[in-house]
Amino acid sequence: MLYFLGYPQNGHRRGVRARLMRLFPCSTAKKPSASNQNSVEDELELSAVRHRPEGLEQLEAQTRFSRKELQILYRGFKNECPSGVVNEDTFKDIYAQFFPQGDASTYAHFLFNAFDTDHNGSVSFEDFVMGLSILLRGTVQEKLNWAFNLYDINKDGYITKEEMLDIMKAIYDMMGKCTYPVLKEETPRQHVEIFFQKMDKNKDGVVTIDEFIDCCQNDENIMRSMHLFENVI
Amino acid sequence: MAAGVAAWLPFARAAAIGWMPVASAPMPVPPKDKRRAKDGLIVLNVSGTKFQTWRNTLERYPDTLLGSTERDFFYHEESNEYFFDRDPDIFRHILNFYRTGKLHYPRHECISAYDEELAFFGIIPEIIGDCCYEEYKDRRRENQERIQDDEEIDQSNDMVQQDMTFRESMWRAFENPHTSTMALVFYYVTGFFIAVSVLANVVETVPCGTAPNRVKEVSCGERYALAFFCLDTACVMIFTVEYLLRLLAAPSRYKFVKSVMSIIDVVAIMPYYIGLVMTDNEDVSGAFVTLRVFRVFRIFKFSRHSAGLRILGYTLKSCASELGFLLFSLTMAIIIFATVMFYAEKGSSGSKFTSIPAAFWYTIVTMTTLGYGDMVPKTIIGKIFGSICSLSGVLVIALPVPVIVSNFSRIYHQSQRAEKRRAQKKTRLARIRAVKSGGANAYLQYKRNGLLIDADEEAGQALVCKTNPTFDIQHHHLLHCLEKTTNHEFVDEKTYEESCMEVSMVKQTSRSSSISSSPHGLTCCSRRKRKSFNVPNSNMSVGLQGSVQELSTIQIRERPISNSRSSLNAKFEETVPLNCDQPYITAAVISMPTPPVTTPEGDESASSTDYSQANIVRVSAL
Repeated sequence: MLYFLGYPQNGHRRGVRARLMRLFPCSTAKKPSASNQNSVEDELELSAVRHRPEGLEQLEAQTRFSRKELQILYRGFKNECPSGVVNEDTFKDIYAQFFPQGDASTYAHFLFNAFDTDHNGSVSFEDFVMGLSILLRGTVQEKLNWAFNLYDINKDGYITKEEMLDIMKAIYDMMGKCTYPVLKEETPRQHVEIFFQKMDKNKDGVVTIDEFIDCCQNDENIMRSMHLFENVI
Repeated sequence: MAAGVAAWLPFARAAAIGWMPVASAPMPVPPKDKRRAKDGLIVLNVSGTKFQTWRNTLERYPDTLLGSTERDFFYHEESNEYFFDRDPDIFRHILNFYRTGKLHYPRHECISAYDEELAFFGIIPEIIGDCCYEEYKDRRRENQERIQDDEEIDQSNDMVQQDMTFRESMWRAFENPHTSTMALVFYYVTGFFIAVSVLANVVETVPCGTAPNRVKEVSCGERYALAFFCLDTACVMIFTVEYLLRLLAAPSRYKFVKSVMSIIDVVAIMPYYIGLVMTDNEDVSGAFVTLRVFRVFRIFKFSRHSAGLRILGYTLKSCASELGFLLFSLTMAIIIFATVMFYAEKGSSGSKFTSIPAAFWYTIVTMTTLGYGDMVPKTIIGKIFGSICSLSGVLVIALPVPVIVSNFSRIYHQSQRAEKRRAQKKTRLARIRAVKSGGANAYLQYKRNGLLIDADEEAGQALVCKTNPTFDIQHHHLLHCLEKTTNHEFVDEKTYEESCMEVSMVKQTSRSSSISSSPHGLTCCSRRKRKSFNVPNSNMSVGLQGSVQELSTIQIRERPISNSRSSLNAKFEETVPLNCDQPYITAAVISMPTPPVTTPEGDESASSTDYSQANIVRVSAL
């Protein structure tokens, strides 16, 4: 009835053609292959992030864990991250669960960068277990090295006051709001000052790795605390 | 906390080495690791279906049956496995909870069977994951409502009478006639009188034969005017008494007066009283006649007696917007067609379509397919449009009705769902908050317990091992390390707010004073604080006052360092924790407060006290 009301003729013809086309699906115009390709690639990307670690023997050789310990570690790791890698968000979530009162995301970010030694945005099982091997079974020198690496945010070999301040603020953020005594704005800064007074021997405003290691080795509290977590696994 | 992350606790503890170089205080000693049994496979035989899992997996949740020693009761020596005589299908989900940390609810299972299994295995349903939680709650509520309905019916039948006052029992009798014989009698009597009154209203308009000295017929109402009047009076009296009794018994009179049923009651009996008042006035008798129409509202009093009427009323009320739309679209169509018909029939002679409003009647009758035939189009074009009108009438009326029905059902369920979701969102947020604060509170509780256990160590050790599983001990040690690193302590909200308040009060009292008078402020502050922190500072020493004085005179006197726990537990915190809101200018009173050495290590305490002393000296020299 609409056609009687003077529907435009070309539209009428187009409608018929479209209807005919629908009857013969194979004759429809080919879609550009590029878009097909893209969609396939997208699908691959979504499902592709799956990582299989190196063999058990290799890991045993590279780290200081025993076979059984590696097995237990991997089971826990894979349970929480079935795809085999941890990305930064998951890492932050996991770490935040241990510190319910505060905000652990900034510190988790720095920690993630410390573990992600090849800086590819994800922590695989190898990265994870290498880091743990240093922390739990390494020499004091290696542990201090690792800590220096953690504080040195831009990995240039020097810890500046700004970097230390960031780290300190991240640590204090983990405490949250409800602390006693109440956290003030300048608490992290003061802490950084104390740290630099202790560590920066030549007062050049940065702490190098040698200054750091020297100073820590002379401090018995720090030495003692390095051995604190040796029986964690 | 999801115990899936229990596997990551060793990592978090190892990463704590990153805090060590910047720590302000020495770290607490780590908890002794009980020699763990070698991790092995456990076979769980549930009614013949064998499940196997690592022992560690089960022990992630030590407060459940499978994770604790309670499972030893089910150990079957002959086959070296744990045998449970329960449903294996539901057990699958329970075991998955241990594996993944998330509890799921299978939709096809009966809710009460599932609840029973959860209760048996000691798992609280609140940890059901978000994916299944809504479904679980819905089913649970349905089930409970069903049980509740049954219970109510039973309960109302044998509720004890003497517990309620006379007024309450009267109200209950009115609302639920099945409670007592009197209520039932009252119910039927009022029903009878409503029916009688309505019937009388109807009958009094029936023509009743001619009066002896009149030609035309009179209605029964005029013939037996007195009888009807008496009947009417009787009915109205009963209704009035009933209304007054209800008003008396109502728990909330204001709410009762506002309710629909009471308005109907009032409207039903008002015409009679108004008629009584103004019988003689001729001018308003016309209006009075109209008022009698309201007597028909008495029929609505039946809705108290019939639940179906109530439901219908509620349905109409909730569907009002859809009905309104139907009316509006109908009105549009009527106007259009009436206009068309009027102009189409304008030409024909003797047509009944004298105006557009006159054509409304034809359009309505045609669209609703009534077709009285009192107005018919005579011209051809009129007939054509008339037929179009009747065809479209069928459509216009038939189409919205299912739409209204489905709309009604959809909107009704949507509002229910929105309500549900709002309620569940609140519960879910509360759950998340509870878990978070539970974690935090667990640590604070552990600290307090730790302090109390300090006092008598004999009972302490065993108690700690029983109440805090390994994971918790290690986690608390980690948090303790963080406290030591930053030299601040975790406290709960209340204490935090109190300390904020006190600091602001101190600020006000001693803002303009010099340093010499500040001890006064400090003392006030500290004394007040001593009151609030009762539990942690239960063995706070007399060194309290001493320390305050020391700081105020900027000379540190050597505090007696003894090994007695009481003095070691002296809190250094009376040094003013500065104002949370604004910076506090007086620089000399700034200090880095050091938390007390409260953990059970005796050997480290001496050195740490030295350390903290040194700390104070350094800082207050600023």
